[in-house]
Amino acid sequence: MKKWTVILCLLLVPALASAGDRTLFVYNWTEYMPDEVLTAFEEKTGINVVYSTYDSNESMYAKVKLTRGKGYDVVFPSTYFVHKMRKEGLLSPIDHTSLANFKHLDPVLLDKPYDPGNTYSIPYVWGSTALAYNKDQVAPEKMRSWKDLWRPEFKNRLVMNDDVREVLGVGLIINGFSVNDTDPDHIRMAYESIRSLMPNIRVFSGDSPKQPLLNLEAWAGMVWNGEAYMAAQDFPAIQYAYPEEGAIFWVDSMVIPKEARNKKEALAFIDFILEPENALLVCEYIGYAPANRTAVSMMPEELKNNPTIFPDPEDVKKGEFQTDVGDAILVYERYWERLKTGL
Amino acid sequence: MNEKQGFKFFAVFLNMTWFALFVLAPGLMVVGISFLTRDISTFFTWPLTLDHYRELVDPVYAKVLGNSLVYSFNTTLLCLGIGYPFAWFLSRAPRHRRPLLLMMVIIPFWTSSLIRTYALVILMKANGIINTVLLAAGLVSEPVSMLYTDAAVYVGLVYSLLPFMILPLYAVLEKMDIRLMEAARDLGAKSLQVFLHVVLPLSLPGVMAGCIMVFLPAMGLFYIPDLLGGAKTMLVGNFIKNQFLTAGNWPFGSAASVFLLMLMVVMLGVYFFISSRFNRSQES
Repeated sequence: MKKWTVILCLLLVPALASAGDRTLFVYNWTEYMPDEVLTAFEEKTGINVVYSTYDSNESMYAKVKLTRGKGYDVVFPSTYFVHKMRKEGLLSPIDHTSLANFKHLDPVLLDKPYDPGNTYSIPYVWGSTALAYNKDQVAPEKMRSWKDLWRPEFKNRLVMNDDVREVLGVGLIINGFSVNDTDPDHIRMAYESIRSLMPNIRVFSGDSPKQPLLNLEAWAGMVWNGEAYMAAQDFPAIQYAYPEEGAIFWVDSMVIPKEARNKKEALAFIDFILEPENALLVCEYIGYAPANRTAVSMMPEELKNNPTIFPDPEDVKKGEFQTDVGDAILVYERYWERLKTGL
Repeated sequence: MNEKQGFKFFAVFLNMTWFALFVLAPGLMVVGISFLTRDISTFFTWPLTLDHYRELVDPVYAKVLGNSLVYSFNTTLLCLGIGYPFAWFLSRAPRHRRPLLLMMVIIPFWTSSLIRTYALVILMKANGIINTVLLAAGLVSEPVSMLYTDAAVYVGLVYSLLPFMILPLYAVLEKMDIRLMEAARDLGAKSLQVFLHVVLPLSLPGVMAGCIMVFLPAMGLFYIPDLLGGAKTMLVGNFIKNQFLTAGNWPFGSAASVFLLMLMVVMLGVYFFISSRFNRSQES
């Protein structure tokens, strides 16, 4: 129950903050970094880590924007938010020469249009949104395409992420459009498709889409690969599948806000996370692929060959990375409201 | 200024400052923002406009508000139905037992309602405690669907808000003069008549206070329908949150908040109007 951890973290903040003189404020997604890594960093450097979490890019962005990043030293936005925050001057440039472990990063994930030359962001992990199912209830051949979600036997048995871009994104994909489409007509078509999916949807999960699968409330649905990986650790019947139309992919990066007070400590932290041993630990725990090729080469075969974490290059090619849709988000939101009010 | 006055001044001043800083100022900011224009990079900007209030006149917002009102209304009725008899027996329990019984109503409040909602998930899920027991006892052959239904939402809302109904009812029922009921009975009234003509009218202030204290928070507890109902219906709380976070439309979100606030002010106004009339009729 990640909300509990959030509450615990909040309670611990004052205690930790007063414990030492060097402090680092890390703001990360829920269940996105194992405690061991944080403890190891504290032990190695003597810097106290104050760790808090968020569950959407949007809420992270609102806070960082309002405080101009004061109060946070390392944050983990997704690609399209790196782009947005960089454009708005919210980020502080990162000196690569002070990162001894920069060389371990996978060049395939570097120098992308959202941040040319990685001046402001260092990739952390990457992952996908695709299909998951409980193989006790669902045969694998029934989960090959996004369209399979519409099968009548899944009536009231699906879990979906409670995320407007991803849910309408599936609607866009099955109509043959990009998940980053900004054409209102296309978004309307996506909405109409998803509206016909509503009888199958049992739950929109905002915090942990693996829970309804583990609870046996849902038999299948759309989840993030790391959630599917973590669920399979407890309950091996949970399987993950890349739909033939292509999955939705993303990269999450580490950035330092412009007004961060502990920039030196932030760089030390980023460098620490880039150490292959630590990147490996993160991957084993959260089930997302590290952006770190040395870490990948060090992995046991079993992890390296896990298709949930490391999709076939063919599947990556078919998939699409999310980008910022600008003001079209208002159109998305309008249809999202209609979807949820049944209008 | 003597010491007592100094304390009074200090206490009042501290309270007023607190409310001014953390309730009034943010509230006024919301009102102010609701008249500004959306801006993608600064959240809001000039010029002043009434557009966002005009946008509220929309079937989607009406439906969102309607959903919330229905949930709140039903929750209030359920709480009243459960809370009234409970408060009655509580107020008639032996005097030395009452503190303990009251304590038991209040103790769950020591835990965050979010955590208690997660506890309900653990109880109600398909492989949860209730279903495990039912299956083991052979009462059902397949897990009963409880989680992610409207019934689950009501269980969560009633569970979280019931004490707000019980406490004001208990307060009036406990103070009620038992001799009035004895008098009614001596004059030949049946139990139902005693209840309808004596107990109920006298407890009306408690009923009103309890209803207000359940209804208004129920409008805002959107995480309970999200966690227990599966987030399939949008309530006012979700709507406002999405306007602020997802759509980045702070002025529209603010306008929706202001509208909700006005609605609550109207309901409170009705409550004060009725209760002051009630008090006057009591006095005369």
